[in-house]
Amino acid sequence: MKTLLLILFLAQSQPAITLDPAGTFRVTAWADAEKFTPQQWGQIFSIQVDLADVPPLLGSYHLEQGALVFVPQYPVQAGVPYRATFKVPGRDAVVQRFAIPKPDMTPTTIVERMYPSASVLPENQLKFYIYFSAPMSRGEAYSRVHLLDENGKEVERPFLTLTEELWDPQGVRFTLFFDPGRVKRGLVPHNELGTPLNDGHRYTFVIDHDWLDAEGKTLKADFKKSFNVVAADRKALDEGRWKIVAPKAGTADAVAVEFPEPMDYALLQRQLGILDASGNVVEGRVEIDRDETRWRFIPRTLWKAGSYKVQVGTVVADLAGNMVDHPFDVDVFEKVDERIIRETKDLPFTIK
Amino acid sequence: MTRFRTVVCALLVIALFAATGFSAALTDSLKTGKADIKSVGVMTFGPEGILFVGDSAGGAVYAFDTQDRTASPAASVDVTGIDQKIASMLGTMPDQILINDLAVNPISKKMYLSVSRGKGPQATPVIVRVDGKGAISQLSLDNIAFAKVELGDAPASQGEGRQNPRTQAITDLGWVDGKVLIAGLANEEFASTLRAAPFPFNTAKGAGIEIWHGSHGRFETQAPVRTFVPYKIKGEDNILAAYTCTPLVKIPVSSLQPGAKVKGTTIAELGSGNQPLDMISYNKAGHPYILLNNSNRGVMRLDAAGLENYKPITAPSDIAGVPYETVKSITNVTQLDKVDDTMAAVLVGTTELKTIALP
Repeated sequence: MKTLLLILFLAQSQPAITLDPAGTFRVTAWADAEKFTPQQWGQIFSIQVDLADVPPLLGSYHLEQGALVFVPQYPVQAGVPYRATFKVPGRDAVVQRFAIPKPDMTPTTIVERMYPSASVLPENQLKFYIYFSAPMSRGEAYSRVHLLDENGKEVERPFLTLTEELWDPQGVRFTLFFDPGRVKRGLVPHNELGTPLNDGHRYTFVIDHDWLDAEGKTLKADFKKSFNVVAADRKALDEGRWKIVAPKAGTADAVAVEFPEPMDYALLQRQLGILDASGNVVEGRVEIDRDETRWRFIPRTLWKAGSYKVQVGTVVADLAGNMVDHPFDVDVFEKVDERIIRETKDLPFTIK
Repeated sequence: MTRFRTVVCALLVIALFAATGFSAALTDSLKTGKADIKSVGVMTFGPEGILFVGDSAGGAVYAFDTQDRTASPAASVDVTGIDQKIASMLGTMPDQILINDLAVNPISKKMYLSVSRGKGPQATPVIVRVDGKGAISQLSLDNIAFAKVELGDAPASQGEGRQNPRTQAITDLGWVDGKVLIAGLANEEFASTLRAAPFPFNTAKGAGIEIWHGSHGRFETQAPVRTFVPYKIKGEDNILAAYTCTPLVKIPVSSLQPGAKVKGTTIAELGSGNQPLDMISYNKAGHPYILLNNSNRGVMRLDAAGLENYKPITAPSDIAGVPYETVKSITNVTQLDKVDDTMAAVLVGTTELKTIALP
């Protein structure tokens, strides 16, 4: 609980201004409040953030036991300096400053993990997911991430920068796309600067500890991940190469799908599911491990013998954004507008 | 005389209906109350002072009746310290707000800013407007006529107890031909997510359109639209759109049908390491131009005459495309919108909101 520092201005004949713990400003020892209209109260008593040439806080006025009270529309904040001014025509202004001490700003938030987990990535790697231990601030993401080559030199503009920043609703996962103009073939950015990552080289991805969390605190430490880069992967996913490992009936063991290459973590989380023989969704939870080459599904109840399906959403992708029905870059010999894009595919398996 | 009066009265009634009927049709779908908007991002004005606002966090687009319908001529405005001024009104420091977008009401010429008070996921959405004298006031979202269209197409996660982390950042909005066009980028799949929502909003969800981008005459990818501007080419409604992979394309609005797969025609490539942020179109001395501000390449002015005549760029050697020049007199523009054919409103960095003469 934040403690509000209450500062009282004491003077015998002067009205006094207070900030109470509920965050309302109050003029006391002023008997004339009722003689003025509510519109005049705003001219007589105003609160500003203590900066030069700024308008007053938005809020409303009322009288409470003879005291003029200002309730800010937006709550007062720790660490913000406020200046309250009380000025009745013909009398000296009373100016009172308030500051609520900032809470403990010792850093506590860390980068918990990032995906891909693998330390070998394709040249056309499409994106990173960064998971923080607490909600983060928006508006500074792209200045806090860096890609260094093996000589420690920063790679120029490797990422797609979007004013909107791509966060999950809780503000703990940030999605960082590589600049698609450099990853996609045949574009000016690709030809001018080349791909951000190059086959045969080693890179280090760095996150500055200066990145502020939602409480305005820095991260506890920098985060680094080094990886080697191999040739671009431009093949559509072939689900025929996936291996399904079925559990035994009567157990709650996981059914597993094993992939020949690492997959996109987020899409894997929600693009695969299990259906029973009647097409009903089997309830359970998903675990992803082995550098995102294995998807495991643990059922809520024991398996019954019978036939099942792994239902695969076709936007499930590998690290380079290649999907089940088509690679990231579609060769137009297979015409886009003539192709039938299926939304799901079913991979049958049996539990005995 | 009596008959004459009756006729005059009848004509007056008809005239009144004619004057108010159109307005009523658009605003009737808006219901007054507290808007449950989670975040305020990109904005655009429709007719009659209706402001459309993208709510990325809530996965929706809102239509607000600003009731700001008094026509005004364009006025020169220069507000320095706009971030400090807004922050003070909201009782916080300038480093604790984000100014997300700028939109100018084409009727009143007032400048609207979408602002987040706070930078975390719990930030409070705020809309303020700046009038021709530079005075700032808040557009209350607590008691306002509004409607919304939801974009919620995220499939439910099968995992237990997990909240779906998939969201869509709404990257631009436009009003074209009775529809709100909504461009977005998902935080998981790199897919095109252009939607067209007819207004008044009549369905819960906007219909999705797949946008593709062809390059090198051979490879095609789904291509999210970053920003766009409605533009007529030979009398036909088009959008000029910038993909996240940089090319500028034209797409006929008539092709933007629900479920359609559309490939934009590339008319310019604006160079590497650069993202167009905002685009406006205007006519100066009878000549059409597009002005766009970029993340890394300043403000560019494109010659928009005869856009139909440019050969589509299909190979990387085709660097021609629509000619453009960099406007050196305007720098560090982070937000741009049109006031009228002579004037634009810009946010310089985060601190100065002003009007500029269009180049």
